[in-house]
Amino acid sequence: MPPQAQQLLDALNQTIPLEGYLIVGAIMFAIGAYGALVRRNAVVVFMCIELMINAVNLSLVAFSDYLPDAGGAGAGYAVLVIAVAAAEVAVGLAVVLAVYRSRKTVNVDEVNLMKW
Amino acid sequence: MILAFAFLAGMTLVSALGVVLSRNVVHSALFMSGSFLGIAGFFVMLNAPALAAFQVLIYVGAVTVVILFGIMFTQRPQVRRYRTIIQRQHWPGFFVAVGIGAFLAYIVAIADWTGTGPGNGPRGVDALGNILLGVNGAPPIFGLLFEVASVLLLVAIVAAIVVSRRKTGEGVDRGVEE
Amino acid sequence: MISVGQQLIVAAIPVLPALVFVVLALFGRYLRESAQFVAIFGIATSLVFSVFSLYFVIRTQTPIDFAVDWIDLGAGGAFPMGVYVDGLAAVMLVVVCFVSLMIQLYSGGFMQGDKRFAWYYAVLNLFTASMLGLVVAPNFIELYVFWELVGLCSYLLIGHWFERPSAARAAQKAFVVTRVGDAALFIGIIMFWRATGTTSFQGISDAAQAGFIGGSLFTTAVILVFVGAVGKSAQFPLHVWLPDAMEGPTPVSALIHAATMVAAGVYLVARTYDIFVQSPAAMLVVAYIGGFTALMAATMAVTKKDIKRVIAYSTVSQLGYMMLALGIGSYTAGIFHLYNHAFFKALLFLGAGSIIYAMNSYNLTEMGGLRRRMPVTFWTMVVAGLSLAGIFPLSGFWSKDAILAASFEEHFYVLYAMALLTVFLTAFYIFRAIFMAFTGEPRTEGAREATESPGIMTGPMVLLALLSVVSGWVGIPALLGTEEGGFFERLVQLSPFADETLALEGHEFSYVLAIISIAAALLGIGLAYFLYVREPERAAGLARRFAPVYAFLDRGWYFDALYDVVFVRPALALGRGVREFDRRALGGFVSGVGSGTSGLGERLRRLQTGGAQNYALFILVSVLVIGVIVGAQYTFLVVALIALITLVTVAVGARL
Repeated sequence: MPPQAQQLLDALNQTIPLEGYLIVGAIMFAIGAYGALVRRNAVVVFMCIELMINAVNLSLVAFSDYLPDAGGAGAGYAVLVIAVAAAEVAVGLAVVLAVYRSRKTVNVDEVNLMKW
Repeated sequence: MILAFAFLAGMTLVSALGVVLSRNVVHSALFMSGSFLGIAGFFVMLNAPALAAFQVLIYVGAVTVVILFGIMFTQRPQVRRYRTIIQRQHWPGFFVAVGIGAFLAYIVAIADWTGTGPGNGPRGVDALGNILLGVNGAPPIFGLLFEVASVLLLVAIVAAIVVSRRKTGEGVDRGVEE
Repeated sequence: MISVGQQLIVAAIPVLPALVFVVLALFGRYLRESAQFVAIFGIATSLVFSVFSLYFVIRTQTPIDFAVDWIDLGAGGAFPMGVYVDGLAAVMLVVVCFVSLMIQLYSGGFMQGDKRFAWYYAVLNLFTASMLGLVVAPNFIELYVFWELVGLCSYLLIGHWFERPSAARAAQKAFVVTRVGDAALFIGIIMFWRATGTTSFQGISDAAQAGFIGGSLFTTAVILVFVGAVGKSAQFPLHVWLPDAMEGPTPVSALIHAATMVAAGVYLVARTYDIFVQSPAAMLVVAYIGGFTALMAATMAVTKKDIKRVIAYSTVSQLGYMMLALGIGSYTAGIFHLYNHAFFKALLFLGAGSIIYAMNSYNLTEMGGLRRRMPVTFWTMVVAGLSLAGIFPLSGFWSKDAILAASFEEHFYVLYAMALLTVFLTAFYIFRAIFMAFTGEPRTEGAREATESPGIMTGPMVLLALLSVVSGWVGIPALLGTEEGGFFERLVQLSPFADETLALEGHEFSYVLAIISIAAALLGIGLAYFLYVREPERAAGLARRFAPVYAFLDRGWYFDALYDVVFVRPALALGRGVREFDRRALGGFVSGVGSGTSGLGERLRRLQTGGAQNYALFILVSVLVIGVIVGAQYTFLVVALIALITLVTVAVGARL
């Protein structure tokens, strides 16, 4: 094995620092927040919320792997979050369907009866 | 490792952007499942393969399908211009999102992470199982949380059915006017 | 030693009229005219008890003294409620009860048909109860409680016919002016209490002797207490309320403003005499104020046309005499005059009331020739007038002469001159009133129609006339080598301490001074006879020729005008100013808060767009703000906050 190749392989085999995962999670959270604030379609807003939840999950599991005292409990929390998110999707889509049935639209802008 | 990390990160973030910026709702849904797969990959890298399996099964499998169903039931998939799909508050929303992201990244970057290293995650299903049930050294609260989560899922099923029930006398829904 | 039963009897003296007040206040509506019987029964019983206590004090030569704990503040001090009856107090008790009984009998006739008959009797009894309580009080606090009650009853009674605006104003004036005195009294009490830790008269006197409170602080406190007496007894400069108080019913004037309440001031000085004698400066103040008031009020009475006002000024003048006596150290003479004055002054008022009842007018220029039509009234008034003027051998002579002699022999020559001049003026004005009312020909129809008053009114008058003659005889001093000192003098005398402090020498009865004072009185009567019976036009001519002097005297030396400009107008202006401040500033502020809130709400309402994503935006912005505040350094903090706030305003603006 030539030494430069070995060096390259060693460089490539470095462990990822914890900040890496967390920053990816932060960026994904920000993207999800942007989408949840800006899109007009209620279902798309839902999908962006799911993105945010996944970003959080990623952070949790990253902590569970990297922190020595936790005993991997982050992964357990992540499982529970997945369960709750699944339940939320079910109920939320049921609500969207109900709203669609009465108003014939999923445009969030038009669901504004609480306006002053 | 770095290559894998870079590839997965790129896949996840690009898919996330695709969810937000796509004009076609179905495309958004598919981008979303792509993003989920990226996350699953991350889980494998983080020594939690059982969790990765859960992620794929539940998110890519069930949640994506449910959302596609929701799309099918609610509207026309194709629109022409961005203005139709994006709110008027997009600039404030953009800055807020950037702000949040920057703030979180900043907090994370300046924190002191010495003493942490990979390898503490639950490598096998039995480890994950121990954690989830709160036995063999894991925080015992997990037992209660596990049971509560299952009750929550039951309640969610019932609620979804009740909320989306069609009242008697309503006709079959027609398509949306343009 | 006094037994519990006897203590109860003495304690019942003020309690019985108070009970009558409660009964009449509650059930007066149903009793109406029979209220007088309840009241008379109560006061008669009190009179019997008072006589008993007087007898007890005379017999045992020791004062009745008992108390119960009322307020006990531990380290803050204790305020007992008690009863202290010595010779002075026993005499006052009998006088107050007796005069009150006479007045209540008389009122049965005078107030007949009045709308608030029972309430009148109720307040009259409350007043009597308060006065009796004041008399037996052994400490300042209990005294002050009853002092205030007496002032309240005076206000209620002066304003009994409050439908008349002049009566309501007079009641308010009386209350406010005496309030000035009461405030000074209270400050004096507090000063004493702070310095000595006690409020009982005996305790303060002892503490002052021991030096707990000294020099100018002590004199100031004593003078403040005297100012309270000045207010209540209508001395200069707080005399302005008494003439106006004649708006009340005449029996009220007889009771309160002749015999009892105004005597409370004199009584206060006498009660606290042990304290007063320790401050020679205060004693001088008392004497000179008394003397000056006597002269001043006598001059004001000379020109009055309202018979009640003449008598009112006469009261002020006679109270000045009493203060003069106390100030120069003649304790016994002052109290003796108080005791005599109660009877003949009450009689004068009742006589005036009788005239008013018969004629429905109080104006002297409308009367005349009532001598034949109202003989009982005439003769009793003459007796009272002679006693007031101080003619031998009526009661007024003995007490007045004692005061004059004392002032001369103690070398207070200025005071003697003032007092002698006042004797002349007193005789003059009272007989001016009597001659104008009773002699000559009737000047109006009303005078012609007048008849004598009913028996229930003339009865008490006759009784009082008898007393006006004989009441002085208990105080006749040693004459021609008979037993030393009079009976009264032995009963009401200075405490050993005060006697020692004043170090007055006893004096023989001086015939010369007695003759001088009788001569002055006769001169006054003679001048009145000359001006009002012989040549009435002369009086009118004199009034015209000396018009400014006449106006000066008639307007009460312009005191009312002075007080109006100096005190009343500024107070009213202040009141108006405060009202405007309250309306504009405070009211405006409150309304401003209200309208500001609703205006802000109106503007904030725009935030409720109804869109969930807007709300989500606001939530996230708040999260960022909190995060930045908690987690970041200062410059980043400021920049980030500014950026975020701009963001929110854009978001809300973009909504519209």
